[in-house]
Amino acid sequence: MSTSGVLPIAKKGSTSAGDGEGSLQVHMDPSDQIDNALVLAVYGKGGIGKSTTSSNLSAALALMGKRVLQVGCDPKHDSTFTLTKRMVPTVIETLAEVDFHTEELRTEDFVYEGFAGVMCVETGGPPAGTGCGGYVVGQTVKLLKQHHLLEDTDVVIFDVLGDVVCGGFAAPLQHADRALIVTANDFDSIFAMNRIVAAIRAKSANYKVRLGGVIANRSDDTDQIDKFNTRVGLDTMAVFPMVDAIRRSRLKKCTLFEMEDTEEVRQVQDAYRGLATAVLREHEGYDCEPLDDNEIFNLLGFD
Amino acid sequence: MELTIWTYEGPPHVGAMRIATAMKGVHYVLHAPQGDTYADLLFTMIERRDHRPPVTYTTFQAQDLGGDTAELLKTAVREAHERFKPDVMLVGASCTAELIQDNPGGLAESLGLPIPVVPLELPAYQRKENWGASETFYQLVRALAAPHAPPPAEPRPERPAGQAPSCNLLGPTALGFRHRDDTAEIRRLLEAVGVEVRVVAPLGATAHDLARLGEADFNVVLYPEVAHAAASWLKRTFKQPMVTTVPIGVGATRDFLREVAVVAGLEADSLVERMHTQLPWYSRSVDSNYLTGKRVFIFGDATHAVAAARVARDEMGFEVVGLGAYNREFAREVRAAAKEYGVEPLITDDYLEVEEAIREAAPELILGTQMERHIAKRLGIFCQVISAPVHVQDFPARYSPLMGPEGANVLFDSWVHPLMMGLEEHLLGMFQEDFEFGNDTLPSHLRAEVPNDPATANGGSPAGSAPVIPAAEPGASADSAVPASALAAEPDGDIDPEWNAEAEKELGKIPFFVRGKARRNTERFAREQGVVEISVDTLYEAKAHFGGR
Repeated sequence: MSTSGVLPIAKKGSTSAGDGEGSLQVHMDPSDQIDNALVLAVYGKGGIGKSTTSSNLSAALALMGKRVLQVGCDPKHDSTFTLTKRMVPTVIETLAEVDFHTEELRTEDFVYEGFAGVMCVETGGPPAGTGCGGYVVGQTVKLLKQHHLLEDTDVVIFDVLGDVVCGGFAAPLQHADRALIVTANDFDSIFAMNRIVAAIRAKSANYKVRLGGVIANRSDDTDQIDKFNTRVGLDTMAVFPMVDAIRRSRLKKCTLFEMEDTEEVRQVQDAYRGLATAVLREHEGYDCEPLDDNEIFNLLGFD
Repeated sequence: MELTIWTYEGPPHVGAMRIATAMKGVHYVLHAPQGDTYADLLFTMIERRDHRPPVTYTTFQAQDLGGDTAELLKTAVREAHERFKPDVMLVGASCTAELIQDNPGGLAESLGLPIPVVPLELPAYQRKENWGASETFYQLVRALAAPHAPPPAEPRPERPAGQAPSCNLLGPTALGFRHRDDTAEIRRLLEAVGVEVRVVAPLGATAHDLARLGEADFNVVLYPEVAHAAASWLKRTFKQPMVTTVPIGVGATRDFLREVAVVAGLEADSLVERMHTQLPWYSRSVDSNYLTGKRVFIFGDATHAVAAARVARDEMGFEVVGLGAYNREFAREVRAAAKEYGVEPLITDDYLEVEEAIREAAPELILGTQMERHIAKRLGIFCQVISAPVHVQDFPARYSPLMGPEGANVLFDSWVHPLMMGLEEHLLGMFQEDFEFGNDTLPSHLRAEVPNDPATANGGSPAGSAPVIPAAEPGASADSAVPASALAAEPDGDIDPEWNAEAEKELGKIPFFVRGKARRNTERFAREQGVVEISVDTLYEAKAHFGGR
């Protein structure tokens, strides 16, 4: 929303604090409620733990009092089930019911409330091996925009599938403020991260998105991640070691905040809360150049 | 997306124009090629506005596409601001300009104007006019009212004791079907029951008015297509309840009053009883059963179509044999209503589909839009317009709401008259070939004197019951074969002109109630011209001679 300036129609008696008696100014205050949400896009190699990270991050933010919308951008539509305790109907399935007339849909048709009030959307997509998943994601993002779902909320998290092979999957980057990359301390996920850095850099030229940081998942050590970060100029926002409770939470279909009260679980909960605080912190984002294939091939592992 | 000759809704930027034109102090810069300025006509010709829409078109031409269209837009915004000094500006692209992808909102923002500039993203290849109006109104309300919003968790303060309940009327726009009169009627109705109307928006509202929308106790959504999104936002942000019953028809107006009573904390029953209506008059009339069971097909925008169905069935005794709407945003309301009336819902924006459905249903009355007027003429069915899109005659000078008590009267008059007059026309048509209604015949119960007929010469009745031809005028000819004697010149030298077969046939096309005069005039003309045989040319020359009468 573009806003600027104050409309000088104040009547007498107005004060600087608020509009004052008998006065109603028409003005736009950048710090006001009307500002759109903080939009995050979470990328990373397939299976690395983006959905786990996203849904627990959503839960942490909601428990802090934020209004959160999590959008699963994956034909697998398995992003939000720990929040809603079920596989909710996807946007594409709902669209098919109205013969793909998007005008007929309303938010209650494809937005579902989950744990701690987190609002959940699954874009869905075609069955494996057919159709075009990128198209579905791209169109769903447009739909969310038209229904004002990226406004009037505090945080939007796009949880995007692992192998971003076409432009459609990059659609969330057109609306995101920050892109976060989930990785582990292994060659393949860092190699994938490097490609994602390139994609985000390309989008940054025309859109407001910036890299927000790296999240290390399933990593008891982070030496390879640190090496990469130092080389390109990135920072790690949070580290989640190999914790069996996290694996079990997915099987139990619940968030970490609903698991048994043990020391291990409490530590992980704190880590997610820490991540939540970190994403809310004002930060100008990173401007990183990716490594070329040979550079990263030679960087990692050869200790 | 399809190619078509006619659409029920225009592109979404026309919806935006309806909001901008309705308000005061708003200016809309529309990135659009030359030719998109046609839209001004809708407001000046159809609605008879006293000013042109407050829109600046960048009117880029083909040669501009090779240059900097973005710069063109920025210049247009800057100049429009300097010239018109609006309180708030809207910036957007028309369907054609959308393809250039100049990002009007972002460009306008970079100008740093000292007034709110609201960018409009109206995807023209996915949405249409009603959504464009809704989105524009929503964005304006949000931009102007949000700075005055209370903190989210704070509940709405109670109305001070002794203060009258107050509301805003949301939805009436420029180029809205009967919006002018609906607004007046509902305002009057609300004030009569003790509710103060604070702001009417967007019709006649200023930016200042939108900024203070949150002050009233509740919002009345007169036209959901336009105002539902904005009212929902106001509900979420200012905790203002919404009254959503659309008061079209006696039943719905009563329900509306009941809903208002609950929200305003007033006593419902006395409000409803005080409402004056003509419904008892026409529904208790002896002739009212003429209307019972008349089959009616209804199509229009969802709000008006669904409202009309209720009035049709419950207040006129019609049978609803078709129900549909063209705006899918409200398709589910129409589907639910169709279920209630036991008909298949028709959700389409293809007028050919609508025509086909009407043809199949074979109704006696169509309640629809301007397009259904055309369809009705083609199919020879009576029709009345109940919804946009409309034409000039649907913006009458007289007070003519569809809502409220007076609206119910307007509906009765406008629906019943074509049915009743239609019957009369039908009868006239049926009987015009009857011997009783011939050009020169007297009613058969009057025995007229026939010249040369011995039977009547002394006042007796004519033989048989053959039609008698009064010898009222000199030179009047029989409408069958003329005896040879008639061709002979009259003693005073006048020739009696004879009609040839084609001329007689052509005369038959003239409506029967002026046919006699046409015949006499033509014969007079022919006699004056010395024409013996009246041909088709003679007929038209005579017509021109007498000034086309």
